[in-house]
Amino acid sequence: MLALPLNSQNLPYSDPIHPIVVHFVIAMVFFSFVCDVVGYFTGNARLFEVGFWNMFVGAIAIFAAIIFGQFEAGLAQVYPAAQPILNFHTVMGWLLGVIVAAITACRVVIRNHNPLKLPPAYLGVATFLICLGVIQVYLGSKLFWVYGLHVKPVVEAIKQGISP
Amino acid sequence: MNSQLIDQLGLRLGANGLPYEIPMHPQLVHLTLGLFIISILFDITGAISPIERPIFKFLGLPAIRSAFFHVGWYNLLGAAAVTFFTVAFGFFELLLTKPIVNQKSNWGLSVSWTMLLHGLGGILMLAIIVAMAVWRALQRHYWHKNASRQVQWNYLLIGILMFGILYFHGTLGAQLGEEFGIHVTAAKLLQEGANPYLLLK
Repeated sequence: MLALPLNSQNLPYSDPIHPIVVHFVIAMVFFSFVCDVVGYFTGNARLFEVGFWNMFVGAIAIFAAIIFGQFEAGLAQVYPAAQPILNFHTVMGWLLGVIVAAITACRVVIRNHNPLKLPPAYLGVATFLICLGVIQVYLGSKLFWVYGLHVKPVVEAIKQGISP
Repeated sequence: MNSQLIDQLGLRLGANGLPYEIPMHPQLVHLTLGLFIISILFDITGAISPIERPIFKFLGLPAIRSAFFHVGWYNLLGAAAVTFFTVAFGFFELLLTKPIVNQKSNWGLSVSWTMLLHGLGGILMLAIIVAMAVWRALQRHYWHKNASRQVQWNYLLIGILMFGILYFHGTLGAQLGEEFGIHVTAAKLLQEGANPYLLLK
């Protein structure tokens, strides 16, 4: 059995990596949407290019986020109160991985067809993605900032036997 | 700040010491860091465009060099705008902390030094990002308006140096949350001697 040496935050490295990788999913997907919407209403087609490339980066980053998320979720001391939120966050994470990849694929096709136009249907689907994204960020934030997963004082308290 | 000063503000604070459920500063940090880092990476991609052209060809993706510079510019503009709010929320939430004082971080720093360095560092980061946005605007709209390479090598070098500085600055901020448990509800409840596993639903 492979035994990983874990630190005081129950991780084999100094800081959790999932919250760092998600910078590039959250910022890129949200900014892509902002650029597309502004581009759509102002007719500034160069913003569609900015929207496309940001979504493209987001689509790559989301899979790295899922891998590190699964790894760090596996190492977290999840107590009963936090479990439903983690389950929800996990399912939603995989779902978003699929949606972001599919939206990016559609975007590649749209852009190959005509880089100067963006169909309103794309913006509609992207609006739905943003709503799911907001929920996902909220759930992930709750796991760390409310339940304290991988937070040193909380990890130590559990190791010292304060139990649910 | 101490309890009396915090009480004087008259805010309805939750168990995490904030008037809302989750801290806002770390949410805005996602935007600042993501936008800034990708901006510099796209400017680099644009600057060395002839080198990576075969990659995009292989992927079958039409890639126009000027579009990389559009991403570099608009992302930086977004980063500069958002960072004012990142720093503002950062200071608001920093003022509402009542951390455990007798511990040292991984880097051997006390909580007060970590808070001080991250607070002052935040102002410095804002100043540099805004200054780089002005520099980038001058390159885009005046100095290299019609050049095939819109950014100077100096600018990209400073951008890469910023990645290093942001790593240290970001880690200090991360330590405030993950090691000192600042504004982490479960950690605050433990600090007050309560059992978060029973209180949290």
